[in-house]
Formats: sequence, structure tokens, C-alpha cells
Amino acid sequence: MKKVVNVGIGGRSFVIDEDAYQKLDKYLERFRERTRMGVQTGDVMEDLEQRIAELFSESIRTGQEVVNLTLVNKIIAQLGMPDGEAAEDDFSSSKKETTYNSGYAVKRLYRDPDNKSLGGVCSGLALYLNVDTTLVRVLFFISLFMGGIGFWAYIIFWIVAPLATTATQKCEMRGIPVTAENLRKYSIYK
Amino acid sequence: MNDINTDNIKSQMRKGVLEYCILSILNNNDAYASSLIAELKDASMIVVEGTLYPLLTRQKNQGLLSYRWEESPQGPPRKYYSITEKGKELLSEMDSAWNDVVDTIAQIRNNKKQ
Repeated sequence: MKKVVNVGIGGRSFVIDEDAYQKLDKYLERFRERTRMGVQTGDVMEDLEQRIAELFSESIRTGQEVVNLTLVNKIIAQLGMPDGEAAEDDFSSSKKETTYNSGYAVKRLYRDPDNKSLGGVCSGLALYLNVDTTLVRVLFFISLFMGGIGFWAYIIFWIVAPLATTATQKCEMRGIPVTAENLRKYSIYK
Repeated sequence: MNDINTDNIKSQMRKGVLEYCILSILNNNDAYASSLIAELKDASMIVVEGTLYPLLTRQKNQGLLSYRWEESPQGPPRKYYSITEKGKELLSEMDSAWNDVVDTIAQIRNNKKQ
């Protein structure tokens, strides 16, 4: 027994195995990253998704009800990448991921405007240190009653750390690569 | 090593004329993406389909192609691509450029044999 997902692609809806969905989602994300055509990328993706929908329905007509991983792999091999290369077999392989991350990702200290209660200092610091925001807030609060060092530290952070206003800065604040996909994700909410 | 090189050269040659092929096919008749792909694959012009989509979008935005939505017997409407006047102009230029290339190559090869 497997969990299935309902997806809409190219104007049609399909039932797809969860593992197959994950794979397809990653593939589309990589295709988008490598298309590098700016605003026109949307058009390219639209054509690509239409084609995927077409290939899905061709296979489904031949008796198979659910899109599975085998079919998705077959289609990915057929479609390949925009530069004509074959898609890597397993693009979630840890080696690829780490070289990719270390190559593109920069992490900087910013104040976080999306999750702030005062100046966004605690939230930004928590993202920088990879710890829970509440924990940082509690520690700062406690330090207010311990000679006021926390108070001055907060003020200094507030002055020194810039507010992350652009999507690029928000990516840098989280230490994730500045890709089209990530930029889109963080430009949605202000 | 040698194999990799020849493969690479072959694929570079194909890539160079792919845009020309798309325009030529569309000049014969309008086509939707899947039938374009089928035709290019039959001619072993493309190995993976992904190459085609950025090209179509670029040519469309350069005004060489246009598209319309057309009802299909099964499933949602399909995107039919057709060549524009501007595309036809470019195509005729490419036709003569292609003939030049073919002639030149033929000449070079003949010279070598004699």
C-alpha cells in the first residue's frame, strides 16, 4: 500500500504515488533552475508541464491508474534537461547537494522582518545560529535582569545587522542558495 | 576519449542547426510541441526533449513563431505553433546560408580527394 497525491499538471489532474511526486517535483525545480531565461522561464515550464501531462495520459490510457515512480523515471529520461544533458539519475544524492550548497550559499546575519516582535534581532540571530527563535528570545529576556548586558547587546545587534528586505537577503539570512526557486519562495510574503 | 569527442562534436553540430530545423518544420505546416518533438526525434536531431522548450519560447519572443490554442479530441486544448512573416524571412536567409555551408564542405571534400 502506498500513499498517493493528487496533482494538477498541464491543465489535467492525476493521481500520483508520493515517491513519484517527490521525484517529479525535484526534477521540475532543477529544470527551472537550469533554464536561465528570466521571466520567460514560466512559458518554458508551461510547455514542459503540458508535455508531461500528455505523456502521463498516454500511459494511463493503457490500463495503469496511478502514476508511479517507474513512469516518472521514464519520462524524466525522455525529457532531460534544457541544455540537452540527461537528467542525473538521483539528483537528491548527498554529494551533489553539498557541493551545490557550498558553492552558492552564503550565510549572513540579518534582522528578520517576517518573524519579528521588536526589531527582528532574535529571529535573525536564531536563523543564523540554527536554533529556535523562542529560545533566543527567552535568553535575551533573562539577560535583561542580569546587569543589562542583554539590553545593550540587543541595541548593538539592531544597529549593526541590516534588515533583510529583498528576497536575496532572505536567502542569505537562511544560508540557502540564491536560486530562482528560493527567490520566488521568499518574495511571496513580505 | 575519442568516442566522447566525436559524440560531443556531433551534438554541437545538431545544436547549431536545431533552430533552423524548427523553423523549417513549421514552414511546412503548423504543429504542436509533441508532433514537433516526434519529427525531430525521427530525424535524430534531439536526444532529450527538454532542449526544445527553451528554444520554442525564445523564438516565440523573438517574433519568429506564434501560437494559438486549438481544441483536441482528447484532453485540454493544445498549443499550436506556426511560423510568422519574420520567421519566414529569417528562414529564407538560413536556407541560403545552409546551401553555402553544404557547397563549401562539398568543395573542401572534393579537393582533398583529388
